[in-house]
Amino acid sequence: MASSLYERRLKHFLISLTSLIVLTIFAFTLSLSVGSSMLDPVKIFQATFLKPLGYTVEGSVEIIASLRLSRALAALFCGASLALAGLLMQTITRNPLADPYIFGLSSTALAAVALGILLVPNLVVHKIWLIAISFFGAMSGYALTLTLSKLSGGSSIAMVLAGIAVASLFGGISHVLLYLVQQITRTPYVHLLLGSASTVLWGDLQFLVFPTIFLLALILALFKPLNVYLYGDEYAKQLGFNPTSTRNVASLMAALLTAITIAFIGIVGFIGLVAPHIARFLIGSDHRFSAPITALVGALVTLIADVLVKLISMLARGIGELPLGVVTSIIGAPFLAYLLVKRMKG
Amino acid sequence: MKIVVEKLEVWYDSTPALRSASFEISEGEMVFVIGPNGSGKSTLLKTIASIVRPKAGAVYLDGKVLSRLSPRDLGKLIAYIDPHLSRSIPTTVLDFLLTARYPHQSALSFSTPRQDLDIVEDVSKWLNISHLLDRRLDQLSSGELQRVLLARAFVQRPKVLLLDEPSAFLDLKYRLEVLDYVKKSVKASKIACLAAVHDLYLASLYADKVIVLNNGEIIAAGRGEDVLREDLIERVYRVKVSLLSINGRRVAIPLEPIKEAHYGGLT
Ligand SMILES: Nc1ncnc2c1ncn2[C@@H]1O[C@H](COP(=O)(O)OP(=O)(O)OP(=O)(O)O)[C@@H](O)[C@H]1O
Ligand SMILES: [Mg+2]
Repeated sequence: MASSLYERRLKHFLISLTSLIVLTIFAFTLSLSVGSSMLDPVKIFQATFLKPLGYTVEGSVEIIASLRLSRALAALFCGASLALAGLLMQTITRNPLADPYIFGLSSTALAAVALGILLVPNLVVHKIWLIAISFFGAMSGYALTLTLSKLSGGSSIAMVLAGIAVASLFGGISHVLLYLVQQITRTPYVHLLLGSASTVLWGDLQFLVFPTIFLLALILALFKPLNVYLYGDEYAKQLGFNPTSTRNVASLMAALLTAITIAFIGIVGFIGLVAPHIARFLIGSDHRFSAPITALVGALVTLIADVLVKLISMLARGIGELPLGVVTSIIGAPFLAYLLVKRMKG
Repeated sequence: MKIVVEKLEVWYDSTPALRSASFEISEGEMVFVIGPNGSGKSTLLKTIASIVRPKAGAVYLDGKVLSRLSPRDLGKLIAYIDPHLSRSIPTTVLDFLLTARYPHQSALSFSTPRQDLDIVEDVSKWLNISHLLDRRLDQLSSGELQRVLLARAFVQRPKVLLLDEPSAFLDLKYRLEVLDYVKKSVKASKIACLAAVHDLYLASLYADKVIVLNNGEIIAAGRGEDVLREDLIERVYRVKVSLLSINGRRVAIPLEPIKEAHYGGLT
């Protein structure tokens, strides 16, 4: 019984993994084909994935595809990052409704970035500094939320409420700062605020791709402390794990993941909340299985949302693009509503 | 494994919860702690499980001081059944039970050994939870959860078993079946077992030794027949009891609470 159940779980995992990879490749190809000039997805697929096998396509297709590559990769890896940050946050707080945004990390990171740009306008071209500043901002936000929640009892409700307080204060501050930043960057500030993958540069992608992969690997390596942590501090201690260090390490990782995505594409809501739920629904709560699936779900949803952003902007010519975060909330909100209804019914 | 508890003293901030507790549990022995609410039973178990630090005194496991053991060794040796388990993130019973094998796996191992699945399977059969393995932990009935919690302890294959109210929520049949299984395993695997219970009848049935706690102090310890006396129970629990003799066991039937005299009280 136990082993057949476990084998069935493994099979589910492999099926989910392969189908998600296939879907992600599909969405990725679609993302490369959609744009001001529409390209044939089949050719794009050949140009990007089958090149080593000797497929060649016209030069123009290849050039356009490579121009769109950085945007698609940014959407893919930011989605994965955000989803993993959400998974870690839900585990740390043992609260299935937690996400990086609820804890105020995003707003403080954004405020820090905006303040940085205001003080040193040159920062805009130094992505690595933006990442560092937004990481610093995210960590300060987390420290603030943590202190506030400890002062009010340290329960997971206290943590959520503290996060809301920090998020609304720094949300307000960052709005003001970003309003001023518009004059420097001359991009509409809603893009920084609600996310856009359109401005990501090819050379900067390394600061997104490698940390995301590294942190995913780290989550997998830490699957035991994370799994036992779910059942409570005393349970973890009982089995010889240190829940406090698990919490510290995991929150640091979540803050890093969040900080990177904010530096690259701004605030994109709902991915961090929804992706871990979908992953747990598919293959359960064991972090060995849920982490890769969460990352893939996040990547897939973000890629699709970004394709929608591009499609909508093409339909409404000339107005400019919708922020990515708007689209992800429209996709994510019904899902959240579904979760709520299901929860209430028990 | 043999446990020696020496002059253990535990305080929560400025309130004492356990005062100068000394006793021993030998290999394969099942010791029951009884005592009223708040008398320090859980505190005693948690101190031996290293979850609560004593202010004074020491616990020895086979002669080694408990506080010197590494967290990893503790995880291998001691299982403490905590009724307070966080279940807010949905997980399955199988996931939960498999975590109990972690202390025995090498730190960097990634796959689940076949043998661990076999242990889960075996224990599940004995505690009749095989049909619950793929169920969500937060959707079990109280009695089902109680059996899953006990199963976790046995999956861990400990040498020291600390049970906090193992019979809580169990129906008549499972009370006996589960404790039969506990007793059998404790004897077979030479475990030292300490259980806190409120059901004095179970104590008289299964205990090799009974310890009576009151206000953080051990006021009696010894064989069930000697300890479970009318006057002692009445003094500790403040209820009138009548002892019946059934199958050579003495069963305490609670009759009515003893009326306390309130001297000079305004309430
Ligand atoms: N974490 C804690 N902080 C402060 N005081 C505590 C804590 N845990 C227990 N206590 C106090 O210590 C005393 C002993 O508690 P303990 O839980 O050991 O009692 P118990 O015998 O297990 O009671 P019960 O039968 O109700 O389970 C009680 O007065 C309790 O209020
Ligand atoms: Mg207790």
